[in-house]
Amino acid sequence: MKALLEKVVGKLVDAKAEGDVIYSGGRSLKLSSQKGSIAEYKVTGSRILGVRAIKDGRVGIAFSEALDEGSLGLMVQHALTNAENSEENPYERLLEISGTVRDELTYSETEVSIEEKTRRAITLETAVRAADSRVSAVPYNSFSENDYESAYLNTRGRHTVFADKSYSITTSAVMESGSAKSSYHDYDVAHTFGELQWEKVIRTSLEHAANLLTESPLPTGKYAVVFSPDCLHSLLGCFSNFTSAKAAADKLNPWAEKLGETVSSTELTLADEPQHSGAFRRSLFDAEGVEQKRLVLIQDGVLTNLYHNSVTARKLSKRTTGHASRGATSSLSVAGTHLVLTGKNPKLLPPRYLEVIQMDGLFSGANRVTGNFSVAVKGYLWVNGERTQTVGKCTLSGNLLRLLATAEVSGPALEASTDRSFFSVPLVFHDLSIAGV
Amino acid sequence: MQLLSADVARDIIHHGLSLGADFVDVFIERTQSENLDFRNRRVEDAQSGIIFGIGIRLIYGEQSLYGYTNATDREELLRITGLLGARIGKTAVPGPINFERLIYPKVPVVPDRTVEAKYRLSILRDIDEKLRTDARVSQVMLNYIRKNQLIEVYNSEGLFATEERPYIRLFHQLVMKDGEHQAQAFHGPGAVGGWEFVESLDRGAVVENLLRQASTMLYADPCPAGKMPVVIDNGFGGVIFHEACGHLLETTSVEKKASVFWDKMGESIAHSALTAVDDGTVDGAWGSLSIDDEGMPTERTVLIENGKLKRFISDRLGELKTGHKRTGSARRQSYKFAPASRMRNTYIERGPHAFDDLIASVPRGLYAKKMGGGSVDPSTGQFNFSVQEAYLIEDGKISRPVKGATLIGTGPDIMTKISMVGQDLKLMAGMCGSVSGAIPTTVGQPPVKVDEILVGGEA
Repeated sequence: MKALLEKVVGKLVDAKAEGDVIYSGGRSLKLSSQKGSIAEYKVTGSRILGVRAIKDGRVGIAFSEALDEGSLGLMVQHALTNAENSEENPYERLLEISGTVRDELTYSETEVSIEEKTRRAITLETAVRAADSRVSAVPYNSFSENDYESAYLNTRGRHTVFADKSYSITTSAVMESGSAKSSYHDYDVAHTFGELQWEKVIRTSLEHAANLLTESPLPTGKYAVVFSPDCLHSLLGCFSNFTSAKAAADKLNPWAEKLGETVSSTELTLADEPQHSGAFRRSLFDAEGVEQKRLVLIQDGVLTNLYHNSVTARKLSKRTTGHASRGATSSLSVAGTHLVLTGKNPKLLPPRYLEVIQMDGLFSGANRVTGNFSVAVKGYLWVNGERTQTVGKCTLSGNLLRLLATAEVSGPALEASTDRSFFSVPLVFHDLSIAGV
Repeated sequence: MQLLSADVARDIIHHGLSLGADFVDVFIERTQSENLDFRNRRVEDAQSGIIFGIGIRLIYGEQSLYGYTNATDREELLRITGLLGARIGKTAVPGPINFERLIYPKVPVVPDRTVEAKYRLSILRDIDEKLRTDARVSQVMLNYIRKNQLIEVYNSEGLFATEERPYIRLFHQLVMKDGEHQAQAFHGPGAVGGWEFVESLDRGAVVENLLRQASTMLYADPCPAGKMPVVIDNGFGGVIFHEACGHLLETTSVEKKASVFWDKMGESIAHSALTAVDDGTVDGAWGSLSIDDEGMPTERTVLIENGKLKRFISDRLGELKTGHKRTGSARRQSYKFAPASRMRNTYIERGPHAFDDLIASVPRGLYAKKMGGGSVDPSTGQFNFSVQEAYLIEDGKISRPVKGATLIGTGPDIMTKISMVGQDLKLMAGMCGSVSGAIPTTVGQPPVKVDEILVGGEA
């Protein structure tokens, strides 16, 4: 692999340019079932190279999935031409770091035959159908196995290698009862076949789909809301520009000028933890080869840091925080790893609140500059500690800034999102607008 | 340029059939892309790339066995075919395969011409400067995208088909600020074709519309919540039909009984005022293609006629599983996806009503002038959409602008509540994400009146 990267870097050096190259490749297997047998069987193998050329202060990017000698030459030539057609960018240049860092993850597991994988994949459909006579379809179900590898090399000799393996399963339940119809899906991820939680995925899909058959709207009004970890993760992820120095440089971050100011309830602390012990996939280095460490974004309600790469850091006179992101087909940006939201002074849950388990339309219903959002929600109404109503056919509207300002901690223990990339103490958000009947 | 030799394609197909497949097809793709990102008054990113790969599909009974690779050597392609065929566990002796090149009518594309990079940049700079004449504009983002997709399809019925699909799109996005008030506006026209599409855009009108939209929404009050009649304007308003009904008519959902319309063929599923089509043959339209990704010539498919369900959107596997004939609608983002039944240019046909009549018929409701995005759960038909530009309707007249409106409901319900259809049909380009990836599609409609939708907003 390194020889291939060195060949591309050599072409950059020959053209008196500096730059870097990213390799991304993998193999995967996907099985899904219909009518009790495998309906889709997919095997894949892919590889791609992406090069960034920096010449005379100008930057150009090109990528190729064809890796023969001619295509590599063409790719580098395209990157150089793109740089020529670009404009001077004094901020984008390589960091003065070199050396190799490797993060090649392996897991101990016994070989599982394709017959066994097939048998278990089919149960993702058949077990859901067999469990409840109201199940009319299991439209989404699959088992996937993925091997992934990436590598980075630049003209200053920085070299990183990453490899990992993962499995995922998903299933769904569509239920009908009279004129009522509902659906729900769940998934799980693991590094070994044996760790996959087949029963949990099947049970969760069935349980929520059955409950949602009786969904009804709430009266329009203001409600206290508790989001499931997955929903809260989606909501904060949608507004990731608020913690991005790239968005700040692009004038798309309303917190660009708020460093040192209070931006949330003073009971909250938000940190990025690349090597969080509960995370599904640790992260040792970023897309510029910078080693990563914990970064506090909000400390006791005060905004302390934004995510930086080397370019945003130079533009805004800061140091990179090691959060550069770049894929083979994309330009340099910033991205977080695992968000951890902790809090203090937990209070009792309010007597009446909506637990949100599903949000739809978040990415189209959110304004990333103002923080306003409006989404369709489903969940449960809790009154005095009892679940009294399954809620649906409602919209929830709010603003991220007001949401964070009114957040109240309701428990001490961290809860993880299903993909184990987000961790939060339980939180209650007050006075959110629900439109129903 | 031929991407894969007929001899190698024949070997792959022969191998697949010999392993017991009923049908084999090979999809080869080479896509050259170019992307210019202009923001902060400058080119922030200039990039280009080549996507290349081969997808092999074996169909056995109702099973789809699919694999892909970037490699082109015969041995690797036969290895993948062997892996897929091993699932069938049979052997057969296939007959000879002779490919015949498909001749088909070409859907006209917008002409191209070579322009210098400097000239292209001057167009972007001109739009940027015009948008910044309003001092409240804090950011302008322009994205120029070119893509040239060359595909080849071989199959075990002897088909060889090839098509070159040029795409061009120019995104405009602006952010406007005034103290604590902020608003955004977006416009993303696109076409199948080349540079003349950019030249044909009325840049003055585009700039004027974006500034008007942002400055109107900048000071808008929050939208009131509740059920009310809604007039949805033409163009991107068609996203409602696309999401709330179109996806439910794809055999991808129908075959799994995951669509509420799966057993409604011939029945009345919409108001009698509504006729809707999915048409792959509109000249130069963003969702047009001459052949689909199974090599079938595209067509104009009437989906709903005067409220009655007439056709589903179908591909080979959809026809096999549901019996509904193929409509030239097999589409995929790239060779990395097996084809699936997908929409092309989908729109509601013109109706008899003047726009003013639609507004005048509403005592109190919402006028959704420009829709944002949305999504649907095909199994329940439940959808949600954001509205980018909205106004209240009071006493049959458009009154003040409101922001933060969301529309939710179910497809079957809303289709029966479109009671008035206007005359001015307009199409808009968009991207549609589903089982076979993100593909270019066009949505469209004349203005329509929906008698009642739940509008989400400030309680």
